[in-house]
Amino acid sequence: MAVKFASDDWAKQFKDEVNKSNVYKSAAKGWKWTVGLVVEAEPDKNFPESRGVVMDLFDGEARDIKIGSAADAQRCDFVITAPYSRWKQVATKELDATKGMLQGKLKLKGDLPTIVRYTKASQEMTECTSRVPVEWPDER
Amino acid sequence: MHEPGAGRMARREVEGGADAAGLVVYASQEPSAFAGMLGGLIEANVRANPAKKKDFDALAARVGIWVTDIDEGVTLVFDAGRLTVYNGLEPRRTITIRAEADTVMSLSNLKIGPLGLPVYYDEVGRGVALKLMRGKLRIDGMLANVQVLNRVTRIFSVQ
Repeated sequence: MAVKFASDDWAKQFKDEVNKSNVYKSAAKGWKWTVGLVVEAEPDKNFPESRGVVMDLFDGEARDIKIGSAADAQRCDFVITAPYSRWKQVATKELDATKGMLQGKLKLKGDLPTIVRYTKASQEMTECTSRVPVEWPDER
Repeated sequence: MHEPGAGRMARREVEGGADAAGLVVYASQEPSAFAGMLGGLIEANVRANPAKKKDFDALAARVGIWVTDIDEGVTLVFDAGRLTVYNGLEPRRTITIRAEADTVMSLSNLKIGPLGLPVYYDEVGRGVALKLMRGKLRIDGMLANVQVLNRVTRIFSVQ
């Protein structure tokens, strides 16, 4: 059943998808940092307030993924920031996350060598988001 | 493609501590996201690893990188301990790497073997070698500048 984007239900399903992925488990071996996704508000897309997705990822496992404020996400070790519609493009595979970062469409904060070392893990994480059936606020 | 000469006069140093002066500078006042990412990656690598710093201090070359699926590129001008990052491709390049974004990221994930040579026999290395053979990764100037390419690969590598 489709869940509202960036809702608690979405976070739970996203976490389940990550933990089901053997590709992620293997590619993220050794990862020990928190990751925050900042989803910036776009009121004209029916996404009126910025939200944060706070991910506690450790050694190939998602220990916790929860929804918080943008400030919560910004406190993570790695922070990726983009407006709502960009995240929608990523989750619907319209935009490749790696290309998005190289083009500055997704803004990354954090230690670059570390994130580059785990490119495959981050790509699989993007795949996991695309497996969650989503009810998009601008399509309601 | 970016206008190569646009920002030559306005160099901006990367923010850093007291010892950061002079390592990486950007030719443009507005470096592209790709330029910022590559400059940041190289700076972090060089600062964290004395062997990479030695390579960085010894390297004098003009390296172009063009990402074919986003139509963006940079020129990295290594000048023995100093790097200037240009938006777009500048003339007189020693080598030019042309590949899709994923492949460019794979180049940073090449392992370096005991003789300081990139490892092409593990999964990442085989992938890169295959793309080279199939023409999905093109390196202009490679044959005449193998040492430069190996040195650049060592500086790039995050492994």
